[in-house]
Amino acid sequence: MSIIQQHTAASLSDAWRTINIDALEEDSSVNFDTSTLHPALPEVSEADVRQINIQVRQLLRGGDAEGALRGSLEMPVYNGSDLAKEAHLHTVIEVLQSIKASEMTPMLQRIYGTPGGSECLDVLMKYLYKGMAATSAADGNSSAPRTPTRMTPQQTGFSQVGGRPGGANESTGGAMSVLLSWHEKVVEVAGLGCIGRCMTDWRKV
Amino acid sequence: MSQSLRPYLQAVRSSLTAALCLSNFASQTAERHNVPEIEAQTSPEVLLTPLTIARNENERVLIEPSINSIRISIRIKQADEIEHILVHKFTRFLTQRAESFFILRRKPIKGYDISFLITNFHTEEMLKHKLVDFIIQFMEEVDKEISEMKLFLNARARFVAESFLTPVSLICPQTRPNSQVDVCLSLTKRTRRINKQSICAASSWLVEGHDSDALRLAFGEHKRIMITLSSRLLLWLLQVVILSNCRRLTIASKGNTYPEFEKHTRELTIRFLSLA
Repeated sequence: MSIIQQHTAASLSDAWRTINIDALEEDSSVNFDTSTLHPALPEVSEADVRQINIQVRQLLRGGDAEGALRGSLEMPVYNGSDLAKEAHLHTVIEVLQSIKASEMTPMLQRIYGTPGGSECLDVLMKYLYKGMAATSAADGNSSAPRTPTRMTPQQTGFSQVGGRPGGANESTGGAMSVLLSWHEKVVEVAGLGCIGRCMTDWRKV
Repeated sequence: MSQSLRPYLQAVRSSLTAALCLSNFASQTAERHNVPEIEAQTSPEVLLTPLTIARNENERVLIEPSINSIRISIRIKQADEIEHILVHKFTRFLTQRAESFFILRRKPIKGYDISFLITNFHTEEMLKHKLVDFIIQFMEEVDKEISEMKLFLNARARFVAESFLTPVSLICPQTRPNSQVDVCLSLTKRTRRINKQSICAASSWLVEGHDSDALRLAFGEHKRIMITLSSRLLLWLLQVVILSNCRRLTIASKGNTYPEFEKHTRELTIRFLSLA
């Protein structure tokens, strides 16, 4: 008697070859529970994020940019829905954009000097990377000029003047340059360890 | 270096320096194997948070660190389709020679143009800061290279297009059978649009030997016409020109196919002294 008891459409096709059998095994390293790598995190709801946003805005309006920055960084959304995380990212970026370039370094140094300031800057670094990833991914999907879909004569590239994407590019470029200059300043103040902790920390924003 | 390029490269440099912290790590799934964990993706606990550094939506770098390997993917600036093609060709040229670059990955990550894979063996053999310098230098040079190539390409395209139209009696009929270029045959000053049928009719007249009738049918009283170029038509037109003992044929491209020509409102005048 054959070992194979019955043939099905699934067993006859090649699809089973692509199954990762390691994933089916309990003890496999693929099934490592990464939630054991970080402490239990309190769940943050969207309402909480909105409340933080309101508080931060009040501080900003009152002229206390440093307090606003600290306030937004001390309550990072580690455990929450994607929407809550996005909303908090917007709060942080809003604060970052409202701070002048000349004030960046002294403010960061002041925060770094206070107890818990180092953690604050780690969180800031996480949000900087997240901001760059989020903005570029969103725009990259919407207005990607990668696939040559527009075959108008102006877009064939023979003309040297036209073909440059317009205003949208400029605005995201502006947002990016804010994040990039903040990145530079944070590395100056907190060092490369800040980036290292950003990579290794399993509490993701 | 432009204003926003410097912080971008600086961010990439510091992130890379921080991420290039690799150690030997044997595979946990296969005994006596040692694979780059970032590629194998078999142990989630040794993969670190990927970092994205973006200058704008067209230029970004993705750094994916893990315990024994790091993957760096670069998306090169592409302002238009010609740059897209150039970048593709350029990165293809490099990736085909990947083994002489050691750290180059044979295939880029989806959404990026070129990827590097640095393992702990590379960092053991090579100097870390030199590796970082190499990536940064590559990013600097590649933009320059692409824009230079684009300029060369435009210059060459212009030259080719010019020489393509110049010896029309010899080249055009063979090389461009179904071209959409409009041809003006200017024998005198005024313009008249004629259809293909009358040319065919004129052609048959021509075959029968009624030279002057064929010409009148083809060009009418006004001797300037707009037609679509095809090899047979062009040959026939040349025939007509020769037969009518005309000494000048002016060809102007007027369609949208070649904006360059229209921009310069180029009129190529060809003399058929040798033919006539």
